[in-house]
Amino acid sequence: MIIEFRDCIRLFGISVIVCLAVFVCTIFLNYNLDITAAEEQIAPEGRVIYEALVMTGKAVAAVSGGCLAATSLVMLLGYIRSFIDARAKELGVLKALGYSAPAISRRFLVFGAAVLAGAVPGLFFAYCYMPAFYARQNETGLLPDIRIRFHPELSAALTLLPAALFALLSMLYALSLLKKPPLQLLGKTGESRPAPRRRTGTDRPFLKELKRSTLRDQKLFAFLIGFSAFCFSSMTQMSMSMKDLSSESFSGMILTIGLLLAFLTLFLSLTGVVKANSKPIAMLKVFGYSRAECSRAILGCYRPVALAGFALGSVYQYVLLRLTVTCIFADYEGIPEFQFSLRALSISLAAFIPVYELIMHGYAGQISRMSPKSIMLE
Amino acid sequence: MIEIKNIVKSYGTRKNKFQILKNISAEISGGDFVVILGASGSGKSTFLNVISGLERPDSGTVHYGSTDITALSDAELTAFRRETVGFIFQQYYLLPNMTVEKNVRMGADLSGNRDYLSIIDAVGLHDRRKKYPSELSGGEQQRVAVARALAKRPKVLFLDEPTGALDEETGRQVLDYICRLQKEYGFTIVMVTHNANIAEMANTVFKMNSGRIENIYRNETQKNAYEIGW
Ligand SMILES: Nc1ncnc2c1ncn2[C@@H]1O[C@H](COP(=O)(O)OP(=O)(O)OP(=O)(O)O)[C@@H](O)[C@H]1O
Ligand SMILES: [Mg+2]
Repeated sequence: MIIEFRDCIRLFGISVIVCLAVFVCTIFLNYNLDITAAEEQIAPEGRVIYEALVMTGKAVAAVSGGCLAATSLVMLLGYIRSFIDARAKELGVLKALGYSAPAISRRFLVFGAAVLAGAVPGLFFAYCYMPAFYARQNETGLLPDIRIRFHPELSAALTLLPAALFALLSMLYALSLLKKPPLQLLGKTGESRPAPRRRTGTDRPFLKELKRSTLRDQKLFAFLIGFSAFCFSSMTQMSMSMKDLSSESFSGMILTIGLLLAFLTLFLSLTGVVKANSKPIAMLKVFGYSRAECSRAILGCYRPVALAGFALGSVYQYVLLRLTVTCIFADYEGIPEFQFSLRALSISLAAFIPVYELIMHGYAGQISRMSPKSIMLE
Repeated sequence: MIEIKNIVKSYGTRKNKFQILKNISAEISGGDFVVILGASGSGKSTFLNVISGLERPDSGTVHYGSTDITALSDAELTAFRRETVGFIFQQYYLLPNMTVEKNVRMGADLSGNRDYLSIIDAVGLHDRRKKYPSELSGGEQQRVAVARALAKRPKVLFLDEPTGALDEETGRQVLDYICRLQKEYGFTIVMVTHNANIAEMANTVFKMNSGRIENIYRNETQKNAYEIGW
């Protein structure tokens, strides 16, 4: 068996994210279903609140659900890719022995279990938290009491559907990767690289070139690190604005999601970066490149990416909140336009930079502990 | 001049210790061509790693001039490797996502060597400069590794079975480049091999057997890479 149970355990990060996504989406969508069912009973003075709640419910479910689902998808595909890369020889032998690509890739269906393992607890926690959530949504007392109803179709759509979808995607992606001839998997015929693009400034020092090629050849990691900064920036700032606009529970939830997502992605991708580059790092050390030079070349290239992600996140949350506020209060006069909060931005940035640098410092330490001899043990 | 005194090195846990190097002493003079010859498992690679500063011995000293590298801190040892030694391994360990030119530059930048293109030419890879390692044959890749190691202008070049993965033809070619470049630059060579024929190219041979140097002898005349058997 090529895929073992512990390979699924490594997908723990994905399970956690899926759990969060299902939790948030279940709460908000369940509430939306229940409140729209009770629409006739709503008194005229409760209309504004009703519309605002339905709107934010949809927005939060779409944004966080979509964000989280996209992250877990990227992570899963990235994981499958590195999984196949790491076992290319083994898989090549299987293919050479006559196993067909579909037969091998069918085993990747198992990865759907990681999604289910996150979705089911997410659903469970959602229904546990729901009474408190329903009560808090109606703090003003302007809405009728809304009973919690269980919606089986919603539950199925949020657990079984994504699990099946992810399983299918895993298999298809694995199939597309395994389509290569066995010899190529065995590494006998190297994948030919595109001819180097003509560049004017090709006379770059080695470490600068290394920085660039690390970034260029491992786009997935760059994307994830940028995304992690994006999440941190948008969710922390949104949470601060939410506190003023709506309730504390909203803002707390957004903050938790944002931080969890940001750190989980950052840790997973940095671990991946260090692992993927362990050979070049060992070789740099053999040659006498210092600890600082190694980590600057391998980790330093992500700093601009992280800052770009952060900037994008700030803009994104502003646009999103502004649109939401404009939509909800479109019919009411005297509501001031949503202003960009410099205060939230500065607080978020002031928290982000030291935390990011500290984590990078930790990973630089991991790099410096790698022995130069490790390259010879394979 | 490298002075090796009473090197002991073991692997394993306290209970299950296995001594790989058993009190080895030797001297290597500057500009020499030393071959460490021995059967598989005799400790050649371990010995090479210890005297080149890749690994620390349990006890004993390795002096380069007046510096004892076994007493250096990790950072100092890194600086030592940067200034003094070059490495070539059986596997080439080139950086796969960089061209030949950039791989050689990895060595050149360490010593501020701006003339690295001439070394690529010297190993006969002029028209392969823009290629990636995966587009080269094994012999060509090993020549890139030679160029990379020499581009940093090492005082001592350490080689661990540099022809182990090559066929006779390309193996001879790589050895020939190394010898010719030694004559030009005058660095010291310490090469590990289990092939007694290759030892005929050396000036000095250390014969190793289960963790000890059994015999040290000098060759009257050094053969070149095309005169030895294979
Ligand atoms: N990191 C390690 N941990 C435990 N034992 C090791 C380690 N490295 C080497 N050894 C053992 O030390 C002994 C000598 O190894 P070494 O690599 O020095 O031999 P060698 O002479 O270079 O052999 P070969 O010609 O096969 O490369 C071997 O028995 C090996 O199993
Ligand atoms: Mg060896």
